[in-house]
Amino acid sequence: MNVLSPMRRVPASLLIGALALGLAACGGDQPNITDYPNTTFEHRTEFNAALDFLWDRLLLWGTIVFVLVEALLIYTIVKFRRREGGPEPKQVHGNTALEITWTVIPAIILVFIAIPTVRTVFQTQATVRADALQVEAIGHQWWWEFRYPQYPGLVTANELYLPVGRTVNFALVTKDVLHSFWIPRLGGKRDLISNRTNYLWFTPDSAFGEAALNGMCAEYCGDSHANMKFRVFVVAKGDFDSWAQHQMAVAVPHRPADSTASAAPATVGRAMTPSGAPVVLASQAGAVPPAPGAAPYTGWNKPLPAFVVPQTPVPAGLAWSAPAGDAERGKQLYSMSSCIGCHAVRGNPMSVGNIGPDLTHLASRHTLAAGLYPNDTKHLALWIKNARAMKPGSIMPTLGLGEYDPIMKAKVTTGGLSDQQIADLVAYMQSLK
Amino acid sequence: MTTATLTADHGHTHGAGGAATPEHQPHHTTLGLDHRKIAIWAFIGSECMLFISLISTYLIYKGKSLVGPYPHEKWTDPNTGETFNAILNIPVTSASTFVLLMSSLAMVLAHNAVINRTGKAKWWLLTTILLGTGFLGFQAYEFTSFVHEGLTIKTNLFGSSFFTLTGFHGAHVTVGVLWLCTLLAIDLKRGLKPEDGLIVDLSALYWHFVDVVWIAIFTLVYLIP
Amino acid sequence: MATIAMPGRVEAAAPARPAEPTGVWSWITTVDHKRIGTLYLFTALFFFVVGGTEALVIRLQLMKPNMGIVSADMYNQLFTMHGTTMVFLVIMPLSAAFFNYLIPLQIGARDVAFPRLNAFSYWVYALGGVFITAPIFLSLAPNGGWFGYAPLTTTAYSPTLNIDFWVIGLQILGISSLAAAFNFITTIINMRAPGMHLMRMPIFTWMSFVVQFLVILAFPVITVALVFLLFDRFFGTNFYTIAAGADPLLWQHLFWIFGHPEVYILILPAFGLVSEVLPTYSRKPLFGYPVMVYSGILIGFLGFGVWAHHMFSVGMGPIADSIFSLTTMLIAIPTGVKILNWISTMWGGQIRFTTAMLFGIALVALFTMGGISGIMHSSAAADLQQTDSYFVVAHFHYVLFGGAIFGIFAGVYHYFPKMTGRFLDETLGKWHFWVFFVAMNLTFFPMHFSGLLGMPRRIYTYDAGQGWELFNMMASLGAFLQGAGMLIFFYNMWRSYRQPATAPADPWGAPTLEWTIPSPPPDYNFAKLPQVTSRYPLWDEKGREAMIQHRAGDRIPSAEELHIPMPKSTAKPFVVALFMTCMLASLIFLHVEGMATVGILATIAFALAMVGTLYSWLLSPLE
Repeated sequence: MNVLSPMRRVPASLLIGALALGLAACGGDQPNITDYPNTTFEHRTEFNAALDFLWDRLLLWGTIVFVLVEALLIYTIVKFRRREGGPEPKQVHGNTALEITWTVIPAIILVFIAIPTVRTVFQTQATVRADALQVEAIGHQWWWEFRYPQYPGLVTANELYLPVGRTVNFALVTKDVLHSFWIPRLGGKRDLISNRTNYLWFTPDSAFGEAALNGMCAEYCGDSHANMKFRVFVVAKGDFDSWAQHQMAVAVPHRPADSTASAAPATVGRAMTPSGAPVVLASQAGAVPPAPGAAPYTGWNKPLPAFVVPQTPVPAGLAWSAPAGDAERGKQLYSMSSCIGCHAVRGNPMSVGNIGPDLTHLASRHTLAAGLYPNDTKHLALWIKNARAMKPGSIMPTLGLGEYDPIMKAKVTTGGLSDQQIADLVAYMQSLK
Repeated sequence: MTTATLTADHGHTHGAGGAATPEHQPHHTTLGLDHRKIAIWAFIGSECMLFISLISTYLIYKGKSLVGPYPHEKWTDPNTGETFNAILNIPVTSASTFVLLMSSLAMVLAHNAVINRTGKAKWWLLTTILLGTGFLGFQAYEFTSFVHEGLTIKTNLFGSSFFTLTGFHGAHVTVGVLWLCTLLAIDLKRGLKPEDGLIVDLSALYWHFVDVVWIAIFTLVYLIP
Repeated sequence: MATIAMPGRVEAAAPARPAEPTGVWSWITTVDHKRIGTLYLFTALFFFVVGGTEALVIRLQLMKPNMGIVSADMYNQLFTMHGTTMVFLVIMPLSAAFFNYLIPLQIGARDVAFPRLNAFSYWVYALGGVFITAPIFLSLAPNGGWFGYAPLTTTAYSPTLNIDFWVIGLQILGISSLAAAFNFITTIINMRAPGMHLMRMPIFTWMSFVVQFLVILAFPVITVALVFLLFDRFFGTNFYTIAAGADPLLWQHLFWIFGHPEVYILILPAFGLVSEVLPTYSRKPLFGYPVMVYSGILIGFLGFGVWAHHMFSVGMGPIADSIFSLTTMLIAIPTGVKILNWISTMWGGQIRFTTAMLFGIALVALFTMGGISGIMHSSAAADLQQTDSYFVVAHFHYVLFGGAIFGIFAGVYHYFPKMTGRFLDETLGKWHFWVFFVAMNLTFFPMHFSGLLGMPRRIYTYDAGQGWELFNMMASLGAFLQGAGMLIFFYNMWRSYRQPATAPADPWGAPTLEWTIPSPPPDYNFAKLPQVTSRYPLWDEKGREAMIQHRAGDRIPSAEELHIPMPKSTAKPFVVALFMTCMLASLIFLHVEGMATVGILATIAFALAMVGTLYSWLLSPLE
């Protein structure tokens, strides 16, 4: 009973072996992106490369220490297990030389970790280069607003476009509680702190080409913390400029007949400053102008990898009868309703709200409600119908007639929207390419 | 029930507390000090961290208020044009600080009176209580006049951190006054004897601590602009 | 030394002993440190079941992508309460159970310095625990995370009662911890048996001593942070009001200046217990006792200088980040020394693999793992990818579950015969251990991977295809396996409860004073106060016979027969605790519509009642 039987030693050693192997597996430079689409180990930016370099040191020393200590522990408990008739152990009270040794050795190992740590800390928080792309990332409960100060008027939500090969500097602010900005494949987290502005910069490496990535909030921020995601599209410089030019333009509603799929090319409105004057874009060296005749790039038009396509199930009890909508009617309804109190559609003079996301180019986005649902007719309609059932805690009110509002704890009666009205609104929204 | 055992939650030392069976187990503590003496020092250590946190918060928020009134400067409300004077009244607070310092002196004399059986303990206790109450009176006056001048606990960061810090200190003084009143009641009822030196000593330690905290507050909050 | 027989588990006939008081009232009025320790133990185990159930619901919700077991809001309450429960209602009180039970026995005292204050501490804890836990049935449990970052916890963003319960509940629990800490500091400083100078103190008492200082220095800081939040929520102050220019980092700094020492408050008692267990079952003294003491002190006090390593992502700037990185790495040195000294304690020994020993060895193995991931966090730059991800969840479960909980279970199996006179069954105990050990690693090891592969913590759901499914499934299965382990443990307790008390004074051949007195000890502990001449008196050839207080099988005399004055049972500490808890709890009514006046009146009434009872308590003699 008092001896660890071989039977019992096996699981312990197996487990510890597995731990060591598992840790080592984490250190590979190129983990399988398809299987692990949010890996922190990808060297897509110099930021992540520096962190992973540091991680490799930590993992190396950690594994060495772990294996040595656990091996010593296992050896000790096996070798010195009690044997019948064994002698009374020698009563050793300590050994100063030994104890000094294992005070000094960890201290030396720590120096090997401390030096690259401090170097990386200063490297990643160094002053950003002057020609960096500036992006203002604004946290809201529970969605992301992105502004590009070098591109006047460019405001978008929950979708971040970055040019490949150009340093981007994020100014991080929050409109309410604390959030944390995290794109695991591009860099570490940086918190959004009320009454402060934080900064984070990195450069998506050209060698890695284009990518669609996930971003998320990493600081608990209330009910829908889990639903505060965003998409990141790292695109070619020319495509980025083209996208930016399109996004800067005011809304020019498109009839459904103009296009059938959201990713299809669309006519671009003229870029305007708030005063109405055309803007000369700060085109970057190397930007490739769109080939004559080809439709200009307005957003990610390659197939979306599965991991950026939301799969959130629609909450039980929500249904959509799918009547056909009319964009013109929808626009009128929108412009007279309470929508405009919170949302802005540049080009629609009635709609200048700044509480909810800017909808000017809503139809160009791939997801709704901060990466929670795909941006298609059904989800958009259900979102308008009952946002609070679709997303816990949502500030956007429940609008569908007869729908249950989980925050007001009552059904919507007067002023509620019929399915037809919602369909019209959806048609208008979908015209905002 | 007897007042002799006031605050005597100790007693359960090694073997006997009091005179139960002195021959069986000697009254023994490791340091030869009463338990309560050690506990009160631990308590004061803990209270230091409390006041360090409160004072630090005040200092961190100093100058960070978005609107006035401010402690050391005039402020004009940009919306109404109304002007608010610097809030802190250093002459008055200097007087109240002096009062509190004198109360510590009276406390020392009260303790001496008990130890030396001079019979004047009740007068010195009463003096300490009156001076402590006087300090609280100054504080009440200060708080009301600040409110009249437009500073409440809700006004700005200065108001919140100032009232909370000085309010906590005032609450400590109040507890001290109640404690001293209890001692005075015991003295009037049966007279404090040299054996009671300890319980007077405990209250004195607390009282001096509260006094020292006030010196820190007076210096850091009032004197340094 | 070599002449001492090496006992396995020894059983003896139960000696005749004086009748003990029974019934609920005897427990409410008890001031006996051993009975209070027992109350702590069972109350904390109850909350362990509560916190564990919360964890199981969490793991059920996260077992697969997009599950709908609970709502987002309920999930947020569950993870907040899981953290709050495990820290404040389970690990701290389990440690307190051992402080209560063992410190007086280990230093050769008849009770703690302030027995009634001790009862008060327990009752405040029990009532505060109920106060903070019960609202979950109304969906009103705290939901701001266990570190409750402002401004999410302010009225602007959390207008409901949930956070009120948290703020008030933590204040109540803080009072309990502080009162207990003053008591134990005094006890350890002033009630050691003759001859027990500081460097002869049992190591568990030493670690407890350090912990009490951490408590009295750290808890006032969170008290202040919570007072600010309470005032903000109830009286409209601006400490965390963003619109008034407040800095949310004020909360974070105050919280973590408390929070990091709190981590050592949680782990050091377990270190102490394991430092008693390993020597006993290795038949060797603790290797490097002075170094173990100094490293404990060093860990504790360096713990006050590292708080901002919880804040590497808040943008403190490279200088602060580097400084806190380096101070954090420094802590690894005394911790590493402890691990190697434990292994050296076993080296050359005659190791008996009792359940207690298995838990003790597992602590060394698992804490090493948690310590290494801790070093990974200490690297401020690397931590930017780790913090607030499941990697950090893995890390702190390795140190708090693999460390603190495993250490406490080592203590439970080791001291159960001392506390009850009964043995826990060793076969069931080993089942419990192996199930726990495997389940623990199955639950928490995969979290390292999900974290580094981008899974943030505190999300109530996640999408499929993110590469996290396998790890979450493993973690959920592991969690339920842990639940099974706990069922084995509870069955074991129930089984031993039904068996006769046969444990002798020193069933394991352990060396310290608590083993010189009968199991369970009589209310007065030591018939004769021991004279201590060494660190391990029962392992001294000369000392052993002299130290044993009662011959096996002898009748144990009562306190009256020995003329030992005992403190009187009294309900006053309980009543004061009750009034105080009610006083603070009544504040809740200020936020219930139409009840504000009732709230104010109730608060005042309970305050007066509390002060009145307190005077009555202070004016009545102890014995």
